[in-house]
Amino acid sequence: MIHLQRVTKRFGSAAEALSNVSLRVDSGAMAFITGPSGAGKSTLLRLIAGLERPTRGRIRVNGYDLERLSPRAIPSFRRSIGLVFQDHRLLFDRPVFDNVALPLEILAYRRPEMRKRVRAALDKVGLLHKEAANPRTLSAGEQQRVGIARAIVHRPVLLLADEPTGNLDPALSREILRLFDDFNGVGMTALIASHDIGLVERMGKPILHLENGRVEARARPEPRT
Amino acid sequence: MRPGHHLLNAFPAWMEAHRDAARRSLQRRLQAPILSLISIAVLGFILALPAYLWVLLDNARSLSAHIDHDPRIALYLDAVEAATVADLERYLETDARVERWTWIDADTALARYREGLADPSLLDWMEENPLPDVIDVVPATTDPATLDALRDALAGIAPGAGVVSDDEWVRQLNSLHQLGLRILSVVGVLLGLGAVLILALATASELRERQEEIAISRISGATHRFLRRPSLYGGLITGLGGGVFATILLLSGTALSQAPLADAAAAFELDFSLSLPGAGPLANLLLAGLVLGWLGARLGSGHALRDAP
Repeated sequence: MIHLQRVTKRFGSAAEALSNVSLRVDSGAMAFITGPSGAGKSTLLRLIAGLERPTRGRIRVNGYDLERLSPRAIPSFRRSIGLVFQDHRLLFDRPVFDNVALPLEILAYRRPEMRKRVRAALDKVGLLHKEAANPRTLSAGEQQRVGIARAIVHRPVLLLADEPTGNLDPALSREILRLFDDFNGVGMTALIASHDIGLVERMGKPILHLENGRVEARARPEPRT
Repeated sequence: MRPGHHLLNAFPAWMEAHRDAARRSLQRRLQAPILSLISIAVLGFILALPAYLWVLLDNARSLSAHIDHDPRIALYLDAVEAATVADLERYLETDARVERWTWIDADTALARYREGLADPSLLDWMEENPLPDVIDVVPATTDPATLDALRDALAGIAPGAGVVSDDEWVRQLNSLHQLGLRILSVVGVLLGLGAVLILALATASELRERQEEIAISRISGATHRFLRRPSLYGGLITGLGGGVFATILLLSGTALSQAPLADAAAAFELDFSLSLPGAGPLANLLLAGLVLGWLGARLGSGHALRDAP
């Protein structure tokens, strides 16, 4: 599903944000990227989502060779991905329902089907009762869950999450990671960046540890019993 | 298969997407009514000015129909056979371009001429009447091209006849009218370009306010076309509003100038009144508003979305 070969990313003349990173995530797998802030986790996710182009190296995602992706093909590539941001990036000019419905609107879903899917996604993250609320009135945890509902509402084959538990307390963080585990259970490939190593290790999934843009360690803990 | 992409669903889904874009665009305008009204007012003023000039010009052209001096075509028949004259008369009866015609025989002409003189005896020395028989034709139109065609037709039937048309003033008026139209089209094009640029700026600044929504939509796989759609509907809404506003300005402006113009015409002893534009020109005004609104939105959104992250 995701295949990076010796990928380097440099922003302008600054130091390399990522150096020579190779990574492989199989279809249907779930993996974590850890490391302190500034290690290059976000850059790696942005490269995989096609939001940045690598300075060197090759990236293949879901059968797309990102280097050869024409501007016309970018929208269809991005529709196969769900993205969760640490800062949620919700739109405060519309209610929760419309925020979650945005990817379906882009895919030109018809109203009844859209309503069904949005409500299913909101139900999944436990916020069905908030569909008419303005996201501004929600707590940080609730906003994060709205962001997650928006990322999965169109059933992408790949879910990328950048610090999805960044602002949350441990109980909420565990709940959110359990959600990702559920999505992975129904076949969605997931790659999640988090600085919370303790939390991530308890999930029993492959981990890529980044430091200063380099891969410092790879771990493949035993699955939980 | 995604329902949105099923062939049978494609058209209704497309319609729904357009309806949503139009609805959202209208909502956004209603949320910022002052800014929207300013755009509409600017477009309305820009459209109303050339439209008003056009109304004046169009009415000025019809002035030729109001002046009590119709163009004439005189046919001098001194070298024309009687049979040809009969042909001419038959032709004049049937041609729709002829309003009416009068046969003036040489004796009547001379008698009229004599009446016009202070001392009719001045003509007594003449042994015979030097005047020819004349057919005096009053055409049904003042259009120079039609007049030319009619004159050529008459000359064709009676090659020997002297055909003299008295329509120089029609030509002068017409060339003035053509000049006016030319100036009007230059002014109209320049004002239209100005309107497009102003609306493009308004569209671009509106899109800048929606930057976050656009960024999120792009990440979710929105195409350029999808992102542009609400702006284009916005342009059509502004265009329609501008067209309606221009129509109101034009009708009230024309109505208000009717009385002063009628007074001025009376002072020059002209039978002239300013008539309100009909449905056709008003429909064109609305159409011009829609086209300019759309073009402005297209230009502004194309620019803003190219620059957006």
